[in-house]
Amino acid sequence: MLEMRHISKIYNAGTITQMCLFDDFNLTVGDGEFVSVVGSNGSGKTSMLNIICGSIPIDEGQVLINGQSIDRMKEYERYRRMGRVYQNPALGTCPNMTILENMSLADHKGKRFGLSGGVNKARAGYYKEQLAGLGLGLEDKMNVKLGALSGGQRQAVSLVMATLTPLDFLILDEHTAALDPHTAEIIMRLTDQVVKEKKLTAIMVTHNLRYAVEYGSRLLMMDKGKIVMDKSGEEKETMVTDDILHVFNRISIECGN
Amino acid sequence: MKKTVKRVVCAVAAAVMVFGGAACGKKEVPVIGISQYGEHSSLDNCRNGFLKGLEDAGLKEGTDYSVDYQNAGFDDNICTQIGQNFSAKNVALMCGIATNAATACFAAAEDKDIPVIFTAISDPVEAKLDKGNITGTSDKLPIEAQLDLIRKLQPDAKTIGILYTTSEPNSVSAIKEYQEKAGAYGFTIEALGVTAQSEVTQATDTLISKKVDCFSNLTDNNVVGVLSSVLEKTNEAGIPVYGSEIEQVVKGCVAAAGIDYYELGRQTGAMAAKVLKGEAKTSEIPYETITEYGIYINSGAITEMGITVPEDVAEKAIEAQEE
Amino acid sequence: MVDLIISTVTQGFIYALLSYGIYITYKILDFPDLTVDGSFPLGAAVTALLLVKGGNPYLTLLAALAAGALAGLVTGIIHVCFKVRDLLAGIITMTALFSINLQIAGSNLAVGRDVATLFTAEPVKTLFGSLSLLQRKLIVSFFLMLLVKLLLDLYFKTKNGLLLRAAGDNEVLVTSLAKDKGKVKILGLVIANALVALCGCLVCHEQRSFSATMGTGQMVFGLATVIIGTTIFKKEGFVKGTTAAVAGSVIYKICIQIAISLGLPANLLKLVTAVLFLVILVVGNRQKGGGRANA
Repeated sequence: MLEMRHISKIYNAGTITQMCLFDDFNLTVGDGEFVSVVGSNGSGKTSMLNIICGSIPIDEGQVLINGQSIDRMKEYERYRRMGRVYQNPALGTCPNMTILENMSLADHKGKRFGLSGGVNKARAGYYKEQLAGLGLGLEDKMNVKLGALSGGQRQAVSLVMATLTPLDFLILDEHTAALDPHTAEIIMRLTDQVVKEKKLTAIMVTHNLRYAVEYGSRLLMMDKGKIVMDKSGEEKETMVTDDILHVFNRISIECGN
Repeated sequence: MKKTVKRVVCAVAAAVMVFGGAACGKKEVPVIGISQYGEHSSLDNCRNGFLKGLEDAGLKEGTDYSVDYQNAGFDDNICTQIGQNFSAKNVALMCGIATNAATACFAAAEDKDIPVIFTAISDPVEAKLDKGNITGTSDKLPIEAQLDLIRKLQPDAKTIGILYTTSEPNSVSAIKEYQEKAGAYGFTIEALGVTAQSEVTQATDTLISKKVDCFSNLTDNNVVGVLSSVLEKTNEAGIPVYGSEIEQVVKGCVAAAGIDYYELGRQTGAMAAKVLKGEAKTSEIPYETITEYGIYINSGAITEMGITVPEDVAEKAIEAQEE
Repeated sequence: MVDLIISTVTQGFIYALLSYGIYITYKILDFPDLTVDGSFPLGAAVTALLLVKGGNPYLTLLAALAAGALAGLVTGIIHVCFKVRDLLAGIITMTALFSINLQIAGSNLAVGRDVATLFTAEPVKTLFGSLSLLQRKLIVSFFLMLLVKLLLDLYFKTKNGLLLRAAGDNEVLVTSLAKDKGKVKILGLVIANALVALCGCLVCHEQRSFSATMGTGQMVFGLATVIIGTTIFKKEGFVKGTTAAVAGSVIYKICIQIAISLGLPANLLKLVTAVLFLVILVVGNRQKGGGRANA
């Protein structure tokens, strides 16, 4: 379970450009929830993810995982039990290393990187199995460098790598935004498949309202650092895209977007 | 892959041709390999003097010996490769001008025990170039003579400012000697170390601000390299600068009790001639330190600084001015 | 003729150690590490001092490695912990090392011919005593070059080596793997500078001297060798980076020797180097472009 309690975050404090993004922001995500987050630019979606991951500091408040504060943990320490897929497919993998090497790295996440063999051949079968689940034929390209793959393929590998080890949370940071609509669709379906198979708790930020409605078990809409809509369970199930579109349009117009 | 192999083969073939071409040549005439650390007027004088020394001994270039002159451009790596080049060509004698060049020659000569002759080295013992199949001449500065000269030209002077490079061994040992001997002549030494040539002009300002009565130069490459800009500043401040050899006086220093590098080179050339003629072995000739020094003055600069030259100095002094 | 090839190739092998170091910082970590200009003479200074004091020649190898590693550690800490830019961090350490080297060995420190070096001490003496010094230098430097190369190749295949490569490839991923990318960078700098100092150690054995100015331009030299090596073997995917570094180093030394043999004035040597550098880069890029057009 993830809890964000009384978070406040002020950018450029003490200057003319001072901007208060979060003021007493609260959010609780239960185990097994798949939360889609939508909102216009500047609504605080990505800042929220960065606060959870520790990429940006907060001024006040607490972030807790399973009841324990993670505020004192450095960014990299938090990733021990967290996975993240970025908008840019290049950020999730090493372009000059082969799929096998990339998978081996991901498989060893959080452990000591000592002087034992970097690639464990015995695990190759498991990696292939994981990649085969994507249905992209990547399991036959184990010795191909990631840089030679397309953006969609890379993002698919990023997704598998981020979820290869047991996780408390999966963070999806507009992970389909840089892909063409067809590929985005495939990646989105794969994401849903992986989250369900591995019973992950996930938070997905997206600009695609349809994805937000179609996928996930809970939908949040954010505006100016506040949650303006929070639907889950039955309510979420019966929603259609148009239901949130007019709310979204209204806040977008107010923001001048 | 094939292409790469082809390319490598081509490169090797080219190398073989060049090396081969260089290696044959005039086998009948003994070759003297001269490795000079860098382009520098004192070192150039040394080389020219060296060749003159050979000539004076009755040896003729072309019939009695030929010269393979290499200049390392103040690069230690290139010094190494020049030495190896000489060694591979089986030169009869290597001549290293300045410490780093001589050291590299001596290292390269170890295998075949080729005789090495050095010049323009202040302290051959410190540089471990005093034992083995090696000899040469040392350019240790006549520091006492310099102090004496300054005392005679500036009877009231108290402090002498000296700029030097902390990484130049010759400079460091010279500073030490200056400090030891200055007291006897009633001077204190204000030495200021730099690590690079770019710091020299700034260091000049610092010394000027410390109100030194004059500057005295060493044979420090970094300082001598930007001597003109040093002089520009000191002339403006009205502080005389004493050089350490003739070239510096020509460039505008007031005077110097210094060695003549051309003479030093000639002395070295004479030693090399003995070795070539088979009259002596390098390992048996002890290295020589030049005992004769000259007093050089630049009357233009002297007048400008309002210095009066006493009779006894004027008698011995040699005028060194740019024409 | 054969002698010249032997001594030139020997130089190439010796300086390959430096090229490995630059390969790690520049090619793998993408870190322009100017520490090299200080850690190279540091290795030589430590070596010269130990040899003069009667130390075991083999001990100097370890001492140089340790000293270089320390230099790399300092640059790493300055860069990672104090958040100083990579280039500046290296310059700071290099500048400090200039003074430190002077403290260790003075401005010049020569090792007399009576002192045994790696090339003249046991067991080389017993094993290859019948060979000329020139040949012994070739054998010893070849052996060291090969040993370090094999160790590095093995290392790059370990988990730790994989992580180091990842840090240069995509540092965000290192964070995602719950690893401190700063520590990985520091480790890379430590290994690289240890190798650079080892090269300085070997040069000191070979030249029997240390001089405070011997480090000047070594980083640029190393960069040139790595770029020459990797450009020439760009298309050969199976050629390891370490092999390319050795090749680059040997080729560079051969080019300089050719220039010397041709009697080019030293003042032109640097220009020749620059032109050679440019030609190799341009030719390398052409091939890359051509390859793409064919595909």
